[in-house]
Amino acid sequence: MVLFVIINMSSDSPAPEILTAITDRQLQDVDLNNCDREPIHIPNLIQPHGVLLAVSATEYQIKQVSLNTLEMLGTEPQELLNTPLSELLGEEQVNKIQQCLSQDFDNINPLKINIHRGDRDFIFDGIVHRIEEVVILELEPVQPTQVVDLFNFYHLVKSPITRIHNTATLDELCQAIVKEIRQITGFDRVMVYRFDEEEAGTVIAEAVKAELEPFLGLHYPDTDIPKQAKYLYTINLLRLIPDATYEPVGLIPQFNPQTDKPLDLRYSALRSVSPLHTEYLQNMGVSASMSISLIKNKRLWGLIACHHNTPKQVSYEIRTVCEFIGQVISFELAAKEDNQDLDYKMNLKSIQSQFVKTIAQAEELEIGLTQNPTQLLDLVGAGGVALSFDEDITLIGNTPDRAEIERMLSWLETQFDEKVLYETTSLSQVYTPAEAYQEVASGLLALLISRVQKTFIIWFRPEVVQIFDWGGNPHKPVEIYEDGTIRMSPRKSFAKWQETVRAKSLSWKPCEVEAALELRSSIIGIVLRKADELSQLNKELARSNIELDSFAYIASHDLKEPLRGIYNYSSFLIEDYKEILNEEGVSKLETLMRLTHRMEDLINSLLHYSRLGRAELQMRPVDLNNLVTGVLDVLKVSARDKQVEFEIPRTLPTINCDRTQVSELFTNLISNGIKYNQKPIKIIEIGYLDFSDPIAQQKFKARPHNAELPIIFYIRDNGIGIREKYLESIFRIFKRLHGHNKYGGGTGAGLTIAKKIVERHGGEIWVKSIYKEGSTFYFTLQRSVSIT
Amino acid sequence: MSQTQKHPLLIIEDSDEDFAALARMITQAKISNPVYRCEDGEEALEFLHREGEYEDVILSPRPSLIILDLNLPGTDGREVLAELKQDSQLKTIPVVIFTTSSNPKDIEVCYLQGVNGYIVKPMDTNRLRRLVQIFLDYWFEAVELP
Repeated sequence: MVLFVIINMSSDSPAPEILTAITDRQLQDVDLNNCDREPIHIPNLIQPHGVLLAVSATEYQIKQVSLNTLEMLGTEPQELLNTPLSELLGEEQVNKIQQCLSQDFDNINPLKINIHRGDRDFIFDGIVHRIEEVVILELEPVQPTQVVDLFNFYHLVKSPITRIHNTATLDELCQAIVKEIRQITGFDRVMVYRFDEEEAGTVIAEAVKAELEPFLGLHYPDTDIPKQAKYLYTINLLRLIPDATYEPVGLIPQFNPQTDKPLDLRYSALRSVSPLHTEYLQNMGVSASMSISLIKNKRLWGLIACHHNTPKQVSYEIRTVCEFIGQVISFELAAKEDNQDLDYKMNLKSIQSQFVKTIAQAEELEIGLTQNPTQLLDLVGAGGVALSFDEDITLIGNTPDRAEIERMLSWLETQFDEKVLYETTSLSQVYTPAEAYQEVASGLLALLISRVQKTFIIWFRPEVVQIFDWGGNPHKPVEIYEDGTIRMSPRKSFAKWQETVRAKSLSWKPCEVEAALELRSSIIGIVLRKADELSQLNKELARSNIELDSFAYIASHDLKEPLRGIYNYSSFLIEDYKEILNEEGVSKLETLMRLTHRMEDLINSLLHYSRLGRAELQMRPVDLNNLVTGVLDVLKVSARDKQVEFEIPRTLPTINCDRTQVSELFTNLISNGIKYNQKPIKIIEIGYLDFSDPIAQQKFKARPHNAELPIIFYIRDNGIGIREKYLESIFRIFKRLHGHNKYGGGTGAGLTIAKKIVERHGGEIWVKSIYKEGSTFYFTLQRSVSIT
Repeated sequence: MSQTQKHPLLIIEDSDEDFAALARMITQAKISNPVYRCEDGEEALEFLHREGEYEDVILSPRPSLIILDLNLPGTDGREVLAELKQDSQLKTIPVVIFTTSSNPKDIEVCYLQGVNGYIVKPMDTNRLRRLVQIFLDYWFEAVELP
């Protein structure tokens, strides 16, 4: 019984241009400087433990042979060339080969090939594959000790596979692999060698003969396995070098007569490896090696690397078993790797759901995010986080300081491209200023929430000084020749070589990155929902405003009507019954009439106040000098009998506002200054503050620098002043501090209306006062921004 | 004087007190024009269109001048005004609004509809007296009514 591994590459050969692109066929002297370009798939050499025949696919004539046919087959290479293959193998075996190539499953690799030459019988494992018009037949002498049939195969494979399946974690899986493969093959050392993101390798599992030094945990630089070798690993899943000290065997003729090129040996089992590789193995003290590719998602994930300190032949059948196990494991990898850190992932999930719940309930995103600082950090396993909302930065945990983050933001913004997440584990390498704070921020994971509003969440991870155990100095030894050319050769020493890596954090795990991204979609969802709620709220507000509008109107009408009745009837009473009523009666009726008048004033004020809030602002540039002059003219008429001096220390600015309303604002404040004033000469000063004024400085210190600052106006009087405790309440509607008959009366709506006007213009109003000495009312108005 | 006697005045006013105050002032002014009162919009429109109980031409003459309150129960003053001004017969009758509302919007809308005057009801009886006197002088002494 024979085993099957067939490779037929005639038409669907995977991307040969990859190799042509990265290799250089003209390359003669290979060293490590150029070994990335060494055309290792066409070395024109094979390993000596077998013989290679290249046969034309049409006539089955031998076109090219390896130079070792005399030792292997008892025939000179020249004698074989251009003879029909059937002459060497007989019709029957050639038929088998043809059937094998046409995927007839009764005759599959390896074919047992018998060659009778003279008085000698040669028995081979024949491995055949076709690449375009060339059929390549490789013959390896049968290892007499190991005959594997399908039944044996099943046994050889069954228990290792079961044991491998029964492992729970990736570590256990790899441990099982090395144990089983060593068991099957008897290699001195079997390792699982895994490539990281930078293509450097690490030994993550090892089974090794007791007396040998373990390699477990050692790192190997990415240059140890050149790119095109990695590519060949993905198409030729098992490579064997039975004796690293072998003398390679050439082919004759050098160029394949069919293609006029060196023979493409990418699928060949006997292909000679790069001299650099054998040198590398010899430096390591390895005599025989075998490697089995581990492929995850079509990419080379790692290798099962087997070393033997003496030459070692492995039969084709055993190789097939190993390759099969390798393929089974490849399927396991994805599942096992996803299961890795399961507890941690569960924990992240639970933090995430709690966290999202909190921020969903929060009034504002910023508050929600900062409410549970620990959770925000744990979500991605960070040491610190910076939240940037517009220009506002909140820092939690260990982070660079505010100024440094502000500087970093402009750089960070440009790093996202089309993505919403940016991550690095060595910030100082991509952003040099970060060298200053690499202890706290070597790792950075930034989430872009909104580019327009400059909203970012930036997590930091501290530097973790890591000690790498390299399998020898990873920095290639460089030899510089006299002519200035540089040659790097494989390193001689594989002794453990420790390197300390600084300015690097632990890497961001896929599950952490995923958690960050999920947080982002939650935030976006919440923001959208909040916007929805807000627009709903707006609608309700608009409706209630309209209701209030009609309420105020109806109330005013309906309240006024009975009021007018009371007034009129009191008046008629006085008119019609004057004779009957005594003086006291008349006086009481007059009080009744006065009260109804006051009630009407109150209703009118309320109506005016309500209208003020609803009327559309007519924003246009208004010269305040002009406006104030108008206001003063009116006031001067009504305050004719009083001594009032108006002082305007400097020209007032022109601002964009509603003229009628702002005029009322000035009127109310100035007339208050006159009304509540008992000084013989009443002084009213109208002006505005410089930005350098301490009051302005105090007011605007929290404002962003680039925003337009409003102007602070003031109206100062030398009046009666306001006691400290009333400073807040004076702005309340109908709040009066004095009797109705004192200071000229009034409904107590003037300041409320003033406040409403200022607020509608987007400003604020406040008062400073010294009791009995005078008050100063301050209010802010924007110079140009229009507010509706 | 005989001329003025022919010009009836229609007051559309729902409030008895306001009507009483108005009537008192008109009486005090000693004019002889007949005064009719409707308490709401529906009634006023029936009176003007001579419908329902106002079919009798003698009892329900076409007024020469209308005083209209805006806030009326049911069909309110604004609707009455709109209907009056759409009627080719009635739209020639001068209408003076007499209302509590000093809302600029109301004032604007009423003038747009073509009212001939807009008076806000005063609280003060003396002022009311003066307004009524001016009103009567103007409409019944100074101008020619249709």
